[in-house]
Amino acid sequence: MVGETLRNLLMIAWLLPLAGFAVEIFGGFWGSRKSRVAAWMSVGCIGVGFLCSLSALLIWGNSNNFWKVTHDSEHHAEAGHAEAGHAEAGHAEAGHAEAGTDQHKSPDSVASSAASVVLGKTVFSGTLYSLARFGSLDISLDYYIDSLTLVMFTMVTFIATCIHLFAMGYMSEELTEEFVDHSAHLSNGHHVHRPGRYYRFFAFLSLFCFSMLGLVLAGNIFQVFIFWELVGICSFLLIGFYTERKSACNAANKAFIMNRVGDFGFLIGLMVLWTFFGTFRFGNTVDAKGEVVQAGLFQMLPRDETGNVLRDAASGDVKLGAVTAAPESPSSRTIPYSLLVVAGLGVFAGCVGKSAQFPLQTWLPDAMEGPTPVSALVHSATMVAAGVYLVGRFYPMFVQEVLLTIAYVGCITLFMAATIAMVATDIKKVLAYSTISQLGYMMLGLGVFGWGAGLFHLITHAFFKSLMFLCSGSVIYGCHHEQEMPKMGGLWRKMPITAFTMLVGVIAISGLAIPGLVNWCSVFAFSGYFSKDAVVATSLAFVKGNPTHFLLFIVPLVTAGLTAFYMFRLWFFTFAGKPRDQHIHDHCHESPWIMTGPLLALSVFAAFCAIGGETGPLYRLITGDQPAHVAHGIAGAVGSGELTLPGHEAIHAVHGTAGTLALIAAASGTFIAWLLYGTTLVNVAEIKRQLSGLHGFLANKWHFDELYDGLFMQPSHVVGQCCVWIDKTVFDGIIHASAKVMIFVSKWDKLFDEAVVDGFVNLLGNSTFAVGRSLRVIQTGRLRQYVMFIVVGVVALFAILFTTFPG
Amino acid sequence: MLFPQLLDKLISETTSLSLPGFSVELCLSATIVAMLMMRLVNLDRFVPTSVTAVLGAFAALVFTWLQFRQIGAADAIVSQKIFTGLLIHDTFTVFFRAFLSLFLLLTIALTSLTGIPDNEDGPDFYSLLFGATIGLMIMASANSLLMLFVGVEMASVPSYAMVGFLKGRKPSSEAALKFVVYGAGAAGVMLYGISLIAGVLGTVDMSLLAARLGEAAAGGTGGLSDPELRAVSLGILLVMVGLAFKLSLVPFHFWCPDAFEGASAEVAGFLSVASKAGAFGLLVRLALALSGAPGTESLMIAFGVGIGFIACVTTTFGNLAAYSQTNLKRLLAYSTIAHAGYMVMAVSALLVMSNSVQAAAMQIDINRTVEGLLYYLFVYLFMNLGAFAVVAIARNHTFSEEVDSFKGLVGQSPTLCIVMLICMFSLVGMPPFGGFVGKLMIFASAFKAGDIHWFMYVVVAFGALNTVFSLVYYIRVLKTMFMDERPADARPVPVHLGSLESIYVVALAAFVLLLGLLPQFLSATAGAAAQSLAKF
Repeated sequence: MVGETLRNLLMIAWLLPLAGFAVEIFGGFWGSRKSRVAAWMSVGCIGVGFLCSLSALLIWGNSNNFWKVTHDSEHHAEAGHAEAGHAEAGHAEAGHAEAGTDQHKSPDSVASSAASVVLGKTVFSGTLYSLARFGSLDISLDYYIDSLTLVMFTMVTFIATCIHLFAMGYMSEELTEEFVDHSAHLSNGHHVHRPGRYYRFFAFLSLFCFSMLGLVLAGNIFQVFIFWELVGICSFLLIGFYTERKSACNAANKAFIMNRVGDFGFLIGLMVLWTFFGTFRFGNTVDAKGEVVQAGLFQMLPRDETGNVLRDAASGDVKLGAVTAAPESPSSRTIPYSLLVVAGLGVFAGCVGKSAQFPLQTWLPDAMEGPTPVSALVHSATMVAAGVYLVGRFYPMFVQEVLLTIAYVGCITLFMAATIAMVATDIKKVLAYSTISQLGYMMLGLGVFGWGAGLFHLITHAFFKSLMFLCSGSVIYGCHHEQEMPKMGGLWRKMPITAFTMLVGVIAISGLAIPGLVNWCSVFAFSGYFSKDAVVATSLAFVKGNPTHFLLFIVPLVTAGLTAFYMFRLWFFTFAGKPRDQHIHDHCHESPWIMTGPLLALSVFAAFCAIGGETGPLYRLITGDQPAHVAHGIAGAVGSGELTLPGHEAIHAVHGTAGTLALIAAASGTFIAWLLYGTTLVNVAEIKRQLSGLHGFLANKWHFDELYDGLFMQPSHVVGQCCVWIDKTVFDGIIHASAKVMIFVSKWDKLFDEAVVDGFVNLLGNSTFAVGRSLRVIQTGRLRQYVMFIVVGVVALFAILFTTFPG
Repeated sequence: MLFPQLLDKLISETTSLSLPGFSVELCLSATIVAMLMMRLVNLDRFVPTSVTAVLGAFAALVFTWLQFRQIGAADAIVSQKIFTGLLIHDTFTVFFRAFLSLFLLLTIALTSLTGIPDNEDGPDFYSLLFGATIGLMIMASANSLLMLFVGVEMASVPSYAMVGFLKGRKPSSEAALKFVVYGAGAAGVMLYGISLIAGVLGTVDMSLLAARLGEAAAGGTGGLSDPELRAVSLGILLVMVGLAFKLSLVPFHFWCPDAFEGASAEVAGFLSVASKAGAFGLLVRLALALSGAPGTESLMIAFGVGIGFIACVTTTFGNLAAYSQTNLKRLLAYSTIAHAGYMVMAVSALLVMSNSVQAAAMQIDINRTVEGLLYYLFVYLFMNLGAFAVVAIARNHTFSEEVDSFKGLVGQSPTLCIVMLICMFSLVGMPPFGGFVGKLMIFASAFKAGDIHWFMYVVVAFGALNTVFSLVYYIRVLKTMFMDERPADARPVPVHLGSLESIYVVALAAFVLLLGLLPQFLSATAGAAAQSLAKF
């Protein structure tokens, strides 16, 4: 029914790009290098995927009476949320009815939806394909469809469609039999000449889309890990697309290796989960009769009515509520609380690597070596957001220590990246650092218990950041692959559409707003305002509950100002002012329609997707199936050192304050940017000179590369050299000596072999052959002799019989 | 009993039992008559004689299938004496009838593919072929020493004519003459042996031989000092010499290379497979008929060991002599001699085991020995016929049967070469081909017989050693076919994959492979045939 329809639609959207990949990679290899067929196929696959995802989203909404909830007053909606929370609490008990291929509404949610206030409380999960079974470990491809899955699907497929179209124009230089790569040199100083790889690019993009959608659809944490690695390999392939360039190769390796560091943690987390929970599935496993065979991860972790994890009073262990029908399996598994923390941190470590959080953030700026559409799709909008998505998806399993870690990691990341972005001059690097910073915001939002806020920011960021990356791609394309902002300037006359859409993106990310402009909405603002506002408000509420962690509010607030500053700096640098390099300016041109079209489409979404803020449709869609304990918040016991996690009401209470403060920060950032770069009033170079120490520190990315070089690279080099020395002197010495002995022995052995063994074998061979030849002599062909032999034979045999057999 | 009553009984027995049991042979005889009659009225111009022959052989195959069903339907294993005890009709007989009918069918198919004989000579050739086959069937079902001789002669005489069938060729006539004279000599020796046995024991009925032998040995030492036993031993030896001629065992093999070289490859294939099969059927029957007489066990074991010794000499001689052959048919003749040696190891093991003290306990092993022999014969049919067929088909293009004419053949007709490869590897006894399974079964039986007499271990060792010896000359042929360069002036051999010749040889090779991969496919039937001979 609904669940099956959703599953089928999403499966089509998921598997089409895989089919596309298979056709493109082989067809393209054998086909013409000048053909655009691969690109159209790729666009077709992902476009159909988008339509499927969109219709899935609409079907989901219809089945949950989602669209009937009109824009009531904010208060009413809040009450709805509160009630939804109750329904969720009941939902956990009715959890065993939750999973399965069919729609399982818990009774009270059906009742509530009749009252048309409760949003979809419906999760569809089940198994698509069983891969293997090892003992009790079932490795399968599952699906887990809730509102977050659907929103992510729609977002990913839509952005991917836009970027595919954009890339058709951007990559058109590859449509040739002989592509000259001006950035790659041979040893004799010539440029590299190679066949175009247009088809390969789109094949990789299709493979990426398949992997990303698979990650989102995944119904168990192991499957997430599989697709996690698949998007990693796609990222590797796409960063290293210009494989002849050394920088691209290095960047691809760096991205891959840094991610493996995170995945190491991920694996540890998986092991802990498997050991103590005995399953990887999110949802319940049900048999044919609909009975729960094995409870899912989310159902096993017990929480009390306030949302705290239940712990055994004496031991401090967590008793897992294993809902399982199998009598032989222990009905009461326990897990030490510390290992629960380890599991959470482990999974989060994977997210740190994938989402380029501190301290594994250094790979993302280097990843900009890939073609710009890749940066837009993989390294800003979707793949790097997968870490955030996984934190959101795995939220029910995180205990508060883990959440605090997430919050602080996000906090450090967002500030650090923003400061570096302020001084970066490469247009894509600025955007890359901005991406890291915004991912930090998302992590922070999730860490301070703003589940909806973090994911809200994920979606809005995907739109405006992919928009801005495509704009930068358009600029780079127009300027003939010039990426340094100091050589640009005044481009808005030459490329008005790019400049305009970029401005939309910049305003969106900066979080500028005009208060009180429209009646039904308290502020008029682009998407970034609402989502960042939600994050900042949540952190303010969090800090109010836990004053010791005040930095978690101050830093993002300040960074909101920095964000506005560096984004407007970018825009002023590139589009406003006077041309700094006349040559580039003269040859620069606006991009063709196939590139500007997606820009316009994305700019509409970047501007308006979050309309209505936290009462708007997007936010409500995301939070349609939010984890049970989020709505209420958790009140920590006084003096226990436990955190107080804010609920929706607490957040709502400080919303106005936070919004105002963030707006002031953003506005002042914008103003300073205008002052420094939009006008000629202030001498920027002078400021740079005076703060040269700080500037150098930031321009060198806080010396992280040097730090890692010193911490890991150099020591490993030293160890390596020691090993080489030992290898060469000690082991090689032994081996050489033994080899010499062997040669000596084998020389004698050879003599022996040739003289004795070969002699024997040859003698044997020769003698058998000689016997064979001599046997021929008997066969004379004389008939008389033959008949004689009969007689002789008979007599001889009889003689033998008589002589040998005893009388 | 009055004469009329006796006559009535005889008539009713003949019509109700003997004739149905003899239906396959009757069918073949009818075909011979039909073929000759057709020529008389010039019908063979419209219906090629090969078609008639194929129909006749196919009908014979259908009759054997019916006999199988009839015998399989009976609860107990049927062992029926027909024609007043001259012949015996049991699963073993039917197995051989099936084997020979199938082989007859395949040979006719091959001859009609290669065009030897032409239509003019067809009725003569096929009549001879059918006649020889009937003789072989009688050999396999003989229950009387008289029928033994009749069968051997009936199989031999047409063979002489077939060897000399290529009338224009001098070597062919020469080979036929040698074969006739040699065969006559061997027949004389055998007839002398039969008369000795019959004279001393007073019967020609083979089912009574063991009992009479026991009576003759009673009270004596069981050794050769007893004059009766001495005479019987000499008789047995002489009969076995006659059979050794048919099996081309050393030192009675001299006719074989010459005859094979002179005869066409089709006839050589027939001689190397069918006449061996009939002789083995007869040898097994004779060996079992003489076994188990009290007081003569050690004598019979000595005979078994003697046969084992002959087997060792034969395989070694065959394999070594094949080394220096340049004519492929001659090479295959020596290979035939060697394989007769391998197979006769099974008879040796059979004699040794069924005359041991624990013969009753070893009944399963005895059955397995016979089963192994039958299995080997069946595999040998396909692999040897395959090899001869490839030679015959290539000869039709190159007009030569020399090994050198096969140089680099793989470039022109890979199908033939691959079939040859399969057949030769199977002849060597390499898994996964059928030859491996057959060899394994026979060696296992001989090894088992080593528990009774140590010499059987030596036999197994010789078998293993000879497998290595045989590798050399088979591989040499394959090397010539696959690795040598085809001389520029060599005649082309354009045999395509879709041609009838290719399909024929590929089918043979497929059977070789099938018997290697799925031994149970045949071994159950062979086991049932072996079971019908069981004494205990």
